[in-house]
Amino acid sequence: MQDIKGLTLFVACLVVPLGFVVMAERSAASRMNEASDAASDVPIASAAEDAYCTIGLKQVVRRVAGACGLLESGARGCKPADAKSVASLTGDDFNALFKPLQNRAHIIQYDKDNVILDDGGMKEVEESWAEKRGASFYFVVARASTDGDAAYNTDLSQQRAQAVYNHLQSKFTGDEDLKKVGLLWLGEEYAQLGQDFCTWSRSRDGVECTDKEINRSAFVAWIDCAI
Amino acid sequence: MTTPLAFDDNRPSGGQDYSYSPPPQTGGGGRMPLVVMVVGALFGALFSAISTSDFISHLDRQVHSIHCSFIPGAAAEIGESGCRTVMMSPYSSMFRDSLWGGLPIALLAVAVFAYLVMHAGRLLLAGKPLTKHDSLYLMAAAALPALMTIIYAYIAIAEIGAVCKLCVGVYVSSGAVLVGAVLAHLNAAPAPSSQLPMGQFARQFGEGVLYVAVLAIFYALFAPASPKSTQGCGTLVKKDDGSGIFIPMGSGKGTSAVAVVDPLCPACKGFDERMRASGFYRKLALQSVLFPLDSACNWMVKDSLHPGACAVSEAMLCDKDGAEAILDYAFANQENLRALAKKDRDSGQQNDPKLRAHLEDKFPKVKGCLGSAKIKNQVNKSLKWAVSNALPVLTPQLFIGDKRVCDEDTDLGLEYTIARMLEGGGSSPGKRR
Repeated sequence: MQDIKGLTLFVACLVVPLGFVVMAERSAASRMNEASDAASDVPIASAAEDAYCTIGLKQVVRRVAGACGLLESGARGCKPADAKSVASLTGDDFNALFKPLQNRAHIIQYDKDNVILDDGGMKEVEESWAEKRGASFYFVVARASTDGDAAYNTDLSQQRAQAVYNHLQSKFTGDEDLKKVGLLWLGEEYAQLGQDFCTWSRSRDGVECTDKEINRSAFVAWIDCAI
Repeated sequence: MTTPLAFDDNRPSGGQDYSYSPPPQTGGGGRMPLVVMVVGALFGALFSAISTSDFISHLDRQVHSIHCSFIPGAAAEIGESGCRTVMMSPYSSMFRDSLWGGLPIALLAVAVFAYLVMHAGRLLLAGKPLTKHDSLYLMAAAALPALMTIIYAYIAIAEIGAVCKLCVGVYVSSGAVLVGAVLAHLNAAPAPSSQLPMGQFARQFGEGVLYVAVLAIFYALFAPASPKSTQGCGTLVKKDDGSGIFIPMGSGKGTSAVAVVDPLCPACKGFDERMRASGFYRKLALQSVLFPLDSACNWMVKDSLHPGACAVSEAMLCDKDGAEAILDYAFANQENLRALAKKDRDSGQQNDPKLRAHLEDKFPKVKGCLGSAKIKNQVNKSLKWAVSNALPVLTPQLFIGDKRVCDEDTDLGLEYTIARMLEGGGSSPGKRR
């Protein structure tokens, strides 16, 4: 009798935990198989696509990027382009596209008849470059004031845009993102900035800002649009 | 198997010998220690079984709430607790390279306590007074959980730095079992002979071994296996480091591996501890890519999960030679660093000036570099590397060669998965996410 009791106890003490373990493992296996069929809801790392990425803005960026050879694998270099045809918009409408970038953009100011970046200009360019985040393109839109003739001002604004690019190249040598810089020069004829842009982040912040001074400039910003 | 004790009734029978001489009785005092042992072992088995159940529930590779209370059966908790920390530590199981998650120590405890319930219970059922030989074996058997209690309590305090309430329940139960065994020995009748019954001891020990072996073998046989652990979950599209953003970790040589980490993410801290404890830290040429989940620099997160992570990442990239020391410091002081950044941001300062000053003070080499356009650009490159590889927005992530270790394999199954992937060479040509 004692043998049977002892044997029963021996078996019970072994079988109870054994059954518990096997059942728990089978249950875990079943849950694992069900879970492996479920889709993951973790987002995937991607470039930024901000709310201000309107079709109009994307069209402008795409055309400038195309003109600069950014969308092809060929050699980079912006071709002179008629700004109006690039934008296909009125000047005011063109500027309106960029208004939502107030916290992203910087305005680099130049002296009259000058294309050289001063210290404040270089610092502003570097700061704007560092604010890359998830943006896909860096846009440089250079202008000139209405002083002088139109052809001269077109050339002047082109050199101002180029000066920004040259500084980026010297400061961030070898940076692959330099391939994402699109240059657009507007001269004096198209989309002149209004004085409302004087309140934006400028390289000459605090210095008097007239209609002419705000247009002796390069408008730089990373664009958070997946093109 | 043996049932060593049977009723040895020495009372006279059949009118033959009336000179009855009872054996030295242990009386009620002889039974009570066995009752204490059985009850202690039952509680030990219960606490261990709850712990084992929590461990097994994680074999489905998902996140679960776990029990962490001195009261068996109290509600499970999903958040951080000493029990979770202990369970996720490399000390919670053995043979982790061979079995996903390894063989839980709690399961072995279940086997030992079940055996003790059986052994002490059988002595109780037998009703025969204990001899010193019986109680000597009881003490030896009870000493095993007591010894393991000392070892594991030391590990919990000195190595893991966390105490698990269920484990404390096991420790107390082990103590009760040992006390019962000692009392039983003190009250036991003298041994029938001076010679130890080694054969009986061996049989009883064999029963204990059988308990442990059967539970361990069945556990291994029924443990869920997933081919994902060896196949991985995707591959790297862009393996190279064209921008100098990879940070070498450790001095290991061997298969290249990349860990995607956030210096202020608690899961990354735990992952780092598991990696170091696993021994694979030395077998892999491990490099880190920073992926701070902080909206100050990371556009992929709307809110800062880990405020200040961008600044710490900058510091690491500023001083790549000292990056490991900075990471260690960040892991050790995550809460303080996050609080420092949060304080800055709550007061309207988005660039974490207090945190940056603290980092410059602690790591003077990063002075002049921290916050510069150049280094912010580097952090951005790290994030863009994640974009290039279309990685999930989470940390930590581990790549062995170009194979991505599935997220569910980065905790309990880490050693098993890495071992399997290393056997497979760590690369999967042609396979893409």
